[in-house]
Amino acid sequence: MRHAGFTWHDGALLAQGLGVSLGLFAGTFLIGLILGSGAAVVRHFRVPALGTLLHTGLELLRNSPVLVQLFLVFFGVPALIHQPLTPVFAAGLTLSANTAAFVYFIAVAGLDAVGRDQVEAARAFGLSRIQLVRHILGPQALTFAVAPLVGLAVNQLQVTSLVSVIGVVDLTKAGDILNLRTLRPFAVWAMVGVLYFAAAKTLTLLGNRWERRLRAHAAPLGL
Amino acid sequence: MIAVEGVVKRFGAHTVLGGVSLTVAPGEVVTILGSSGSGKSTLIRCINGLETLDGGRVTVDGLDVADPRQLAQARRLSATVFQLFNLYPHMTVLRNITLAPELVLRRPKNEVEAQARALLASVGLAGKADSYPGQLSGGQRQRVGICRALAMNPRYLLLDEVTSALDPEMTAEVLAILARLATQGTTMLFVTHEVEFARRISTRIVFLDQGRLIVDLPTDQFFAADGGLAHPRIRQFLSKMAPSSTVAGAPVSEILA
Amino acid sequence: MPFDLTVLTPHLDTLLAGALLTAGVCALGIAAAFALATALGVLAVGGGWAGRLARLYVDVFRNVPFVVQVFFLFYGLPEVGVYIDAFWTGVLALGLVGGAYGSDVVRSGILAIEPGVVEAAKVGGLSRPAIIRRIVLPIALRTAIRPLGSVFVNLVLSSSILSMITLDEVTGTARGVASETYRPFEVYAFLLAAYAGLTYAVSLGIDALHRRLNRHMADNGAARGAAPGAMEGTA
Repeated sequence: MRHAGFTWHDGALLAQGLGVSLGLFAGTFLIGLILGSGAAVVRHFRVPALGTLLHTGLELLRNSPVLVQLFLVFFGVPALIHQPLTPVFAAGLTLSANTAAFVYFIAVAGLDAVGRDQVEAARAFGLSRIQLVRHILGPQALTFAVAPLVGLAVNQLQVTSLVSVIGVVDLTKAGDILNLRTLRPFAVWAMVGVLYFAAAKTLTLLGNRWERRLRAHAAPLGL
Repeated sequence: MIAVEGVVKRFGAHTVLGGVSLTVAPGEVVTILGSSGSGKSTLIRCINGLETLDGGRVTVDGLDVADPRQLAQARRLSATVFQLFNLYPHMTVLRNITLAPELVLRRPKNEVEAQARALLASVGLAGKADSYPGQLSGGQRQRVGICRALAMNPRYLLLDEVTSALDPEMTAEVLAILARLATQGTTMLFVTHEVEFARRISTRIVFLDQGRLIVDLPTDQFFAADGGLAHPRIRQFLSKMAPSSTVAGAPVSEILA
Repeated sequence: MPFDLTVLTPHLDTLLAGALLTAGVCALGIAAAFALATALGVLAVGGGWAGRLARLYVDVFRNVPFVVQVFFLFYGLPEVGVYIDAFWTGVLALGLVGGAYGSDVVRSGILAIEPGVVEAAKVGGLSRPAIIRRIVLPIALRTAIRPLGSVFVNLVLSSSILSMITLDEVTGTARGVASETYRPFEVYAFLLAAYAGLTYAVSLGIDALHRRLNRHMADNGAARGAAPGAMEGTA
């Protein structure tokens, strides 16, 4: 580090923070992916009541600030259930649900893009609903959804930066700590920015590679 | 006078125009014939400055279109009607016509609007001044396209396959207007597939084949057995055109007979 | 303690004051974002160093978390002698990030314009600035209204982050109310619903605006597929 006040410890702190950010992102994105696409399938098969309930709830999550969601879960829920939540648990819960909301709307659009005639054909051949999703709907919806999902992933990685406000020591919190110690905010926040930028670009690169591979498989299908 | 001198245009390795020379003098109606891909539209686009030249020179009344300053001047002298109309979708028909005369020629708004309304009336679109392009049929849009060009009071009218995107009925609407313009002495350079129509209104016909201008003759000589028809490529072209070229007058097949 | 929204009644004035500050910072931020998005969108379409610079700008501001950008502007800039108060830092930050996201939208709007329409303006003799102002932007912004609207809605949601730099907009005041009343669940649930209601209303407004401005735009001005072979014949 060129700046006088920085030590190699600070590098370790930032690296640790980056690790927490990436881990939190990976975990919550995976959970959100499963929950969101599950909800989309429920909606696709027009399950009464449950479909509408999920839709309304997820619409609410998509249209409100993540920061307020974090406050509601970390400060609000414990007041209601008289049971404290750890910052990491509250962060994980909030980000998973938030990711699920966005995944849900992407997945719904992807499923709607698959022609109804194919569904009818598959049903006529006697495929069960689960087989239909696994072999017909899922793979095709995924080719439609992959580009927005990659965009969402980059976005959700950045959203993890908000968990610092409930005390999770992620990359942003590490920057905060470093800033208090060195009083060099210009350099600290520039460095934190560069680390996030590098992580986001790497994620984009991986996402694009995955997208190309998926499209290559889909090409013979004329998609 | 429009003077095209040895114009070369390449797209990558493909030579679209391989040294084409052509003049259009005031009062002339010159038709460019040729099969698809022969370079007809590209030639028009070289004259109005939409393509940069890879060789040769184009001047409009002495103004070199390769020079940005002179091109700006040259564009006030000619006006183009496009195959796909290219109307401004967000503007009314009237505004489509008045925009360039107001902004480029700096003519007063009320004068330009009066002219635009007169032009619209002359092509049978008096009631459409306040419509938007999206509300019009293809034939109506192309008539607006012609009005837009004429409102520039151009010395030269460039017409790039203006009926290719229209069905026969709409084509007839548009050709009727062009025929009238021709009899009024408008100078026109006309790229078309309508051979029979070209024969009726042109003073001269040129034939482009694979980027080369192989024939440039007065219309009657072009269709004479010892003139243009002596050329095998032209005979081949006309016989292919024959089934669809019965817009007016004798079908092309009779000429060939 | 059962769920009881009436505990908020005595604090509605405070919350309303916060909401007004949110509205102010967002209105100015969105205006700045719109101006920047338009300028960057036009530049990003072009080649040369200006285009490359515009695309680099977008890349940076889209890939660094908003909160880090805000901290950099609010805490970092004073270190190099630039002091901006919390409110104007908020306006600036919203404008900068909204400009980046919005410019991508404007750029694709421009790229979707039928090239022939611009060519018609060129051969009509219109200057480059006149073509951009009268032809390119009016068409591109019409198609961009809906996606630009979602960018702006996201800006409103992001503005809650400005509470982290001491700006007492609605999320900031809500934090105060939550700690005063010891009823955080009611406060944040109410706030969440308020944001959702607001963004829903905004998206309805954007949809209406989109329909209104595009009511004449049956297509992009050309007869795509109007007749067989319409796209052939570029001889």
